[in-house]
Parts: sequence; C-alpha cells; structure tokens
Amino acid sequence: MNNLKRKQSFEAEAPERRVRLRSIDGLGDSTGVAAVEVSELRKTYPGGVEAVKGISFSVAPGEVFGLLGPNGAGKSTTIGMLTTTVVPTSGTARLAGYDVAQQPLLARGVSSVVFQDSVVDRPLSGRANLELHARLWGVPAAQAGHRITELVDAVGLTELIGRPVSSYSGGQRRRLEIGRALVSTPRVLFLDEPTVGLDPRIRHELLDVIAGLRAREDMTIVLTTHYLDEAQRLCDRVAIIHEGAIVALDSPRALLAGLGREILEFRVSGSPDAALGALRDRGVAGEDAFAVGARVTVPLHEHAAADALAAIESEHLHVSEIASRIPTLDDVYLHLTGERMAHAG
Amino acid sequence: MSAIAEAGSIALPAPGRARPAGVLLTLASRRASLTSKTPRQIAVPLLGPVLLALVVAPALKVATGGLHSHIDYTSFVGVGAVGLVIPLSCIFAGLSVLVDRHSGAQRELLAAPVPRAYLVLGNLIVAIGLAALQVAVLIGLSALRGGTFHITGAGVAWFVAAALLFTVFMYGVAETLASRVTKQEDYVGATPAVAILPFFFAGALFPIGAMPAVLTAIAKVFPLTHALALMRYGFIDPSGKGLHDIWGMHNVTGEAWLSLAVVALWAVALTAISIRVFSRSAVS
Repeated sequence: MNNLKRKQSFEAEAPERRVRLRSIDGLGDSTGVAAVEVSELRKTYPGGVEAVKGISFSVAPGEVFGLLGPNGAGKSTTIGMLTTTVVPTSGTARLAGYDVAQQPLLARGVSSVVFQDSVVDRPLSGRANLELHARLWGVPAAQAGHRITELVDAVGLTELIGRPVSSYSGGQRRRLEIGRALVSTPRVLFLDEPTVGLDPRIRHELLDVIAGLRAREDMTIVLTTHYLDEAQRLCDRVAIIHEGAIVALDSPRALLAGLGREILEFRVSGSPDAALGALRDRGVAGEDAFAVGARVTVPLHEHAAADALAAIESEHLHVSEIASRIPTLDDVYLHLTGERMAHAG
Repeated sequence: MSAIAEAGSIALPAPGRARPAGVLLTLASRRASLTSKTPRQIAVPLLGPVLLALVVAPALKVATGGLHSHIDYTSFVGVGAVGLVIPLSCIFAGLSVLVDRHSGAQRELLAAPVPRAYLVLGNLIVAIGLAALQVAVLIGLSALRGGTFHITGAGVAWFVAAALLFTVFMYGVAETLASRVTKQEDYVGATPAVAILPFFFAGALFPIGAMPAVLTAIAKVFPLTHALALMRYGFIDPSGKGLHDIWGMHNVTGEAWLSLAVVALWAVALTAISIRVFSRSAVS
C-alpha cells in the first residue's frame, strides 16, 4: 500500500479505531490520543542559543512524519526532547498521550530511537545488543526470542548476529540498530538521520529496509533527514524546519504542488533581483520565484517554458545553464528559506 | 499551506515495563559482559598492590624490623594494599562510563524506560563484584607470602562491611568524576589525586600515629583511614589498635561501629551525588 493510500485508509478507519483503553497507573490518558503531540516546544541552550523556537505539530498513529532541514536546524534537538535526553525550556510534548517531562518512563516505554551516530555495545554480539533492549523495554522473554529472530531476518543480519558488533560494517551496524529499535514493538519510532554518513549503495539498501519494515509494522515513525529524496520516498507528511521554527508542514505531494508541475532554472550574469523583477513584470514569474546567488528558479505554473524563454530574450537578460524540470522538495525548501538544503547550516 | 496540519488520533496500548530487580540485573549483566571483554580491567589494578604485598612489605619488614608490635608487618601491608586495589579498580570501572558515553550504548540506555539511577547502580554492582575478586586475590597472595591473619566470623563481617562500603564510596567518586569530565585524558589525569594520594595518608603502610599531628588529623577525615582500621580489626588486629589511633576510646567495638558509620556516610553521600551528577549530565 503506498503512503497516500495508507494515510487515506487510516483517516477512514480512525473513528472506528478510537477506543477507550484503561489508563496506565492512573498517569496517562489513553483515550484517543495522537501518537506524537508537540505544542509550543522550545529549547534554549545555556549561552542563549535558541535551537528550537516554539514548534507545534501532531502525528497520527501509523503515520511516517519527516522533520526536514539542514544541519543545525533543530531536528536532533527536537528528537532529543521527544526521547527525554534534552530537557525542553518550555512547551509540552506527548508520546501516545504520555508527557515526556512529567511521565518520562511511560513515554520512553512506548518509543524507540535510532540515533544519528552509532550507539551500540561494540564488544558484544549483535544478539546481545538486541536482547538487552528487549529486557530493558520489558518484552517477555518468551516473545523476545521469536521477535529477535524475525527482526534479524528482516534486516538481513542472520549470518552476523552472533558476531561482535565491532566486526560489522557501518551499514550493518545501522541495520542492527534499526532492528534493535523494533524489538520492543514501539508505538513511536524515532529515526534521527538514519542514513547519514553511509555510502549511496548502503543508503539505498537501508531505505529499502525501512520501507519494508514500514509495510510490516503498524507504528508511527518520526524521521529526521536532510536528504530530500528520503523524505519524499518515506514520509506521509514533512515539517520543514529552518532555524528552529517550522516553516511548512504538509504532505510532500502538497508541498510540491505549491510550485506547480514545472520550473525553469537558469544562471544570470548581472543582478538576479533585477532579472526576477523583469520576469515578474512580464507576468511569467510569480511571487514564488526566487534567486539563490546567481541561480534563478521560476515556477512556471500555467505558463509554458517557451513563454519564459521569450521573456528572457526580450528583456535581454544574459543567462546560461537554462533547464526546465519538475520541482523537488529542495526547491520548496529554497523558496521558503532562501537557503540550499545541502549548503545551509 | 497550513503550518500545522491536523492529525488523526487513536488510543494506544500501555508500554511494557520491566521489574526493577530485573532491570538492575540486566544492567549489571551488561556491564559484566563488557568488563569480561577487557581483562586488563581485572588484572591491571592488582599489579601495584600485589607488588606491595608480596615484595615491598616483606622487604621493609626485614629492613626496618616491622612494626615492633604484635601485628605482623607483611599482613599489615597486605590489608593496607586493599586501600590501593579498591580505588584503582573503581577508577577503571569509572573509565568504562566514559567509553559508554563516547562510543558505547549510553544513549540507548538513557532512552530506555528505566530510572537513570539504575544505570549507575547496575555499574556499581559489577564494580563491587570485581573489587571483591581482586581483594580476595590480594589477601590470598599476602597469606601465601607469609602474612598472618586471624580469621573469625565476626572479623570477616567487619572486613567485608568495611571493604564493601569503601568500594561503594570509591565507585561514587569514580562515577561522579566520569560524569563531570568530557575527556579520558582529564579522567586519567585525576586518578593520582583521587585514588592514590589518600593511600599515603590513610595508614596503609604505617600507623597514622607515626605522622605529624596535623596529618594524623587530616587522615581521620578520609574514609579509607576508617576502612583500613576496620579491615585490620577484622583480620589482623583484634585489639583494634588502628581504631584506637583514630578515636582514642576504650571500647573497641564502639570505635568499630563509629568508623563503619563514617564509611557508610561517605558511601551513601557519594552514591547520591554520583546518581545526581550522572542524571543531570546525561541530558542537556
């Protein structure tokens, strides 16, 4: 089932699935709650660095939600607050209804996290790492063995699982960590830059693993990434974070639709702002056209590329490297922030 | 395009919860597994103290004529070397906390649904077990080298209680230090001050009364001074001469209880401090 169908299916089923479950230790209100609910969450580090500036969002059970932004945008700080390793300055965050500040044990009990860098006991075997997770998360021993066998197979580590993790490659370690995070069948899985630092082949293998698990497991995934293709491929919705604030939140399809079906991109010698102004005056560029350095991007919307080229010629603009293409999330990000994802932050 | 899109909602099941004893056992078992992969952590802390007990003490006994009392100098130093082996053992154990933070699974443990105090206590359990093993080896070797020990049930109880509480204290020091420093170099650099310096003031090699009065007074503050006096009271000095040097009372049992209370107080304080420092430093 593709992402959109999954979401539509969830939305159709949601009212029937809103059932009242008993409260846990009298602490959590488990009646019809979002998997992740963040309200005005803010983090200011000592020294006054405002890493997260009052963000709010809500993630439905079963949804794959992406936090998209360059390094330093505040993604990992947000994940840190949701996983209780960073203390929020203000605001609230709930996982499955459990407040991460007031009920941290319960919030941690319904979630797992795959960290940006490797967080494993390297001298121990892969299996020992998985068993440790199972015991700490209270998975009954009888279920844990079966679950581990199943997951090891799913992430393709059956042959290696008895070896010390120190003998694993980077990609194998990352697959182990993803498998480990799933041992406790978390309601919410956090993947913090899961493919960063991996070579392209392993990265694509890993995305296949995540996509495959997503189809098997009915869980909510919150994924941070600065790889736009990952977000487009895996996420039902993405929040674009820029300098600690959410500047857009919607499905990748809706975000891309805002820029139309085609964009024209070119390099201009002279003032990009003047070139943009001239094209706007001629009606071929709208307010969503933008320039980064000497490169100008013009969403065409109802216009044809030929109209824009004619305007460029009649305005005697000196341009090079002209190309038309379909928009990407990178264009959405550039439009919203004026920075290129790969170079920002 | 709305900044905040509404999401659906659904009731979710209760999180799994492990039993506290099971969690502690799991964490201790993890630490024990990691320790067993680094045998140097077991052997290295023993080298210096064993040398003291087997070579230096008998040589000094011959050279100086010993303590000129009913107490055998070889066994006196044999127990005194415990005051070196426990701090070194705990400092090595604390080093693994730094390794955990930099290249181990500490963040996975911090994300687990267990109280963070348990992470410290799980490590403490293994530090106690390791120190016990090292102390047993040290005392055994000292006895083989000719040390004289008077083993009784009550004596063993005093020895074990003192060694246990002192280990708890020293591990608290090590864990606190490991949580406060960021680099292994800084941690290793602090080792002489926290693990070795007290050894020279606490009456490990000679009675504290042999030092100038001001140093004797300072020595009485160190938990190691009390722990060594208690361990000697248990194994080699039933008259409690070391305890009398500290308290100057006539009731040796009362002196022993007082010294045990001092070591216990330090142990409880440092354990509480180490848990607090770890819990605060582990999050930002």
